[in-house]
Amino acid sequence: MENKRKYVIPGDLVTTGPFRPEQNVILEGNKIISTSIGISEIYDDSVRVIPLTGKYIPKIDDLVIGKVLSHTSLSWELDINSCYVGFLPAQDVFGRDFSAHADELSSKLKTGDLVAARIANFDRTRDPLITISDRDLGKIDSGTLVKISPSKVPRLIGKRGSMIQMIEQATNAAVTIGQNGWVVVSCESHEGLLKAKKAIQMVNEKAHVANLTDQVKKMLESKSES
Amino acid sequence: MASHSVIDELKKTQILELLEQGKRVDGRALDEPREISIETNAIPKANGSAKVRLGDTEVLCGVKIQPDRPFPDMGDKGIFICTAELLPLSHPTVETGPPQPHVIELARVTDRGIRESHMIDLSQLVIEKDKSVVGVFADIVVIDYDGNLFDACSYAATAALLTSTTPKWTMVDDKPTLVDGEESPLPTTTIPASVTMGKIGNHIIVDPNGDEWDSMDARITITTNSDGNICALQKGGSDGFTQEEIVQCGEISVRVGAKIREKLKEAQQGSQ
Repeated sequence: MENKRKYVIPGDLVTTGPFRPEQNVILEGNKIISTSIGISEIYDDSVRVIPLTGKYIPKIDDLVIGKVLSHTSLSWELDINSCYVGFLPAQDVFGRDFSAHADELSSKLKTGDLVAARIANFDRTRDPLITISDRDLGKIDSGTLVKISPSKVPRLIGKRGSMIQMIEQATNAAVTIGQNGWVVVSCESHEGLLKAKKAIQMVNEKAHVANLTDQVKKMLESKSES
Repeated sequence: MASHSVIDELKKTQILELLEQGKRVDGRALDEPREISIETNAIPKANGSAKVRLGDTEVLCGVKIQPDRPFPDMGDKGIFICTAELLPLSHPTVETGPPQPHVIELARVTDRGIRESHMIDLSQLVIEKDKSVVGVFADIVVIDYDGNLFDACSYAATAALLTSTTPKWTMVDDKPTLVDGEESPLPTTTIPASVTMGKIGNHIIVDPNGDEWDSMDARITITTNSDGNICALQKGGSDGFTQEEIVQCGEISVRVGAKIREKLKEAQQGSQ
């Protein structure tokens, strides 16, 4: 199997053969062609292109970090670092017996609040529907927001979460990663927080480097000695 | 910046908590402006120009000097007009279209600082009284936004004017005609330095960056001239300043303004 990564631009032939086209590629005949600038990855039966940059495109069931921009009497608008605005209906927070007359939305979430949320529905014809009614979702009360490129999120998580687990263990920080590239870091110690932030920024800047895990590990260890 | 930019509450809390300890998010002292870099003659074809970086805020100013009709009540004075514009590439919330109120305010505050300090000796810019005078137009574009455009624009306009050269015109057949090869520096009398201070809680901070700008309760921009006299002032934001705070801001603006004036002088000398 050839799983060679290569840089592609829109229109480039990634590969030919019986592969399933995944993100940012299209199938024409038996040719798989890239639709964005990025790194192509060929797996056993599928092909995808990881874009080098770009805004977040919502995907159903993605965990995202959102920032409340404003609200109407029926819903909140969330900034989810996308070209789309997240739409969080009031029923989702207040429950089924929500009444637009009796309940004041800003009592639960006000402008500037950060929430951990999930994309409940999205089909490109309307703004993504957001939900916070699930375990571990809802308003974020502490921590620091770190912004990275959405395309670097898989690298920050690493294979089966290896990268982020390493960062969390080395710094004792709790890291919530939104698929939209917004990351909330909270840590008891100030040094741990700074180190975790630095590690996340390092992943963001050096996502294309081959032995990144080792580099991050080295940075985390070297700082802990000093 | 634009009216829609919302700062997240966690950052806002962090900024306030740090200020309670006398610290700022980027490690500066409360009365310390960000690093300023001034590049003069950034536009070769303009009569004068300057590109100013104030931290991550970047603005470009070009000066155009040309004959113009005087204002009816100011026939013995030249014309000075300063405009400002935000480019959509400067910040995600900026859109094209007619200028929004805060952009109009930006242009006016910048204009006022230069006008009321009497930086340009407009009486020397008369070609023929009541008929034709020299017009000086300083146009500013904001390339990158990270808070405090007032000061960045003011420094850019001042530096551009300080390094401007004006051609010479004479009246021939009732029309201003260019005299070839005669150029002189723009007649200036003083160097205005604007200092913008933000108020967060009870703390006064100089040169707020983008995050601080978004979490500010009130702001004040004070422009001083070379003698250290206050010549222009603009207050904004919903909160107020106490009398003591205003006095404190005045003192800060004189002290910080003096340092900035040195930088502007350096830029002027560097271009000669």
